Amino acid sequence: MKAIRKKRLTTVLLLLLTSGLGTILIIKALDSNLDFFFTPSEIFAEDLPENKRIKVGGMVLEDSVVRDGTNIIFQITDYEESIEVEFNGIVPDLFKEGSGVVVLGYLFEGSIKAEKVLAKHDENYMPPSLDIEK
Amino acid sequence: MFNFKFNSISDAIFMQSSNGQYHGLYVWSVVLIVLLSISITFLVYKVQIKNIGKKIK
Amino acid sequence: MIKKFIHQFASPKTYLFQVDRAYPYIFYTSLSIYLVALFWGLFLTSEDFVQGNSYRIIYLHVPASFISQSLYLAMAFASAIFLIWKVKLSAYLVRSIAPIGAITTFIALVSGAIWGIPTWGTWWAWDARIISTLILFIMYLGLISLHDSFTDNEKADKFLAILVIVGSVNIPIIKMSVEWWSTLHQTASITVTEKPAIDPSMLYPLFGSIIGFTGIVVCLVILSSKLQILKREKNKSWVKDYV
Repeated sequence: MKAIRKKRLTTVLLLLLTSGLGTILIIKALDSNLDFFFTPSEIFAEDLPENKRIKVGGMVLEDSVVRDGTNIIFQITDYEESIEVEFNGIVPDLFKEGSGVVVLGYLFEGSIKAEKVLAKHDENYMPPSLDIEK
Repeated sequence: MFNFKFNSISDAIFMQSSNGQYHGLYVWSVVLIVLLSISITFLVYKVQIKNIGKKIK
Repeated sequence: MIKKFIHQFASPKTYLFQVDRAYPYIFYTSLSIYLVALFWGLFLTSEDFVQGNSYRIIYLHVPASFISQSLYLAMAFASAIFLIWKVKLSAYLVRSIAPIGAITTFIALVSGAIWGIPTWGTWWAWDARIISTLILFIMYLGLISLHDSFTDNEKADKFLAILVIVGSVNIPIIKMSVEWWSTLHQTASITVTEKPAIDPSMLYPLFGSIIGFTGIVVCLVILSSKLQILKREKNKSWVKDYV
């Protein structure tokens, strides 16, 4: 390779390196804010202020869902801590005991008043009757 | 593995899932959007190439 | 040797003649693969055990998302070649891939939003994966308008190539967003290192749809680059013979 091309190649690599490094630094600096939801353990550990809008993510605790009309009360768990959630509205179809959920709301007297309940599913896909088909 | 999972054309359009929900609206609107936007893009480029060809001539 | 190779094969003229010959083969093969895979995925696979029939959107969403990121990598690669070896053809390719990238990213975003309604319960969330993909879409649009705002094409090519390389840091961010942050979007189902988290009966049509869609998008890139070459080289004598 000619010297001038080598120089250009180094420039390109340097460009890539500096922009990459800059982005990593920005991400590192923003990391705490970019954490898109809290787990129940984090809520108890960080002692969050009440009435502040937060997102909480975790699993719906088995046998914790209590429905009363459109009111629904359930526990979110990360299998270490769990926190109670109160919600009035329609939950997504994928909302089930033992499946993932992300709740948008605020902390009030030790429980979460939810404004929005979103279902989170995992990366596994399979037919419902897999064991039968085998 | 190679059997139709829907019994009729209307079943395939409405796509009722085992939880009772109908998902056809979502699936078919995505199919429509993808096929439409791709075909429109093909068309736009073909026309543009034709036009610029005429201009060069 | 590299120089000789470039001068022989990377002239816009040779490129045009070569891709013109390959185009019908690529187009009809990939179109049939894509349609067969879609038919298979939409009608012959079982519904998903959690998502029901709404999971079938995977056969449209995943190929578009995959391609939208791959096209950016291709642009970055072509930009590097242009900056180092000053190959004109790669500059044309960078400019012609951008609009196709924007369209596939748009498809990825819209299909994801529609998929979110029956599964997550929302069509939009401030989620790291969605935001980084939206940034990719805005970047594609920005790169196009930036290039077109220059009157001097040579300057525009150089500026574009540099910006494409700087912006390529967004691609690993999109890829890793679901790992680094707790997001609503699930993690990748197909990875290089692990066994796919998708049942084989659903995986084969998914692979088919990815391969087929890739081929179709390659055809779009060919058309787009053809237009770009004709525009930029319209005063050359070979172009007059070509059209």
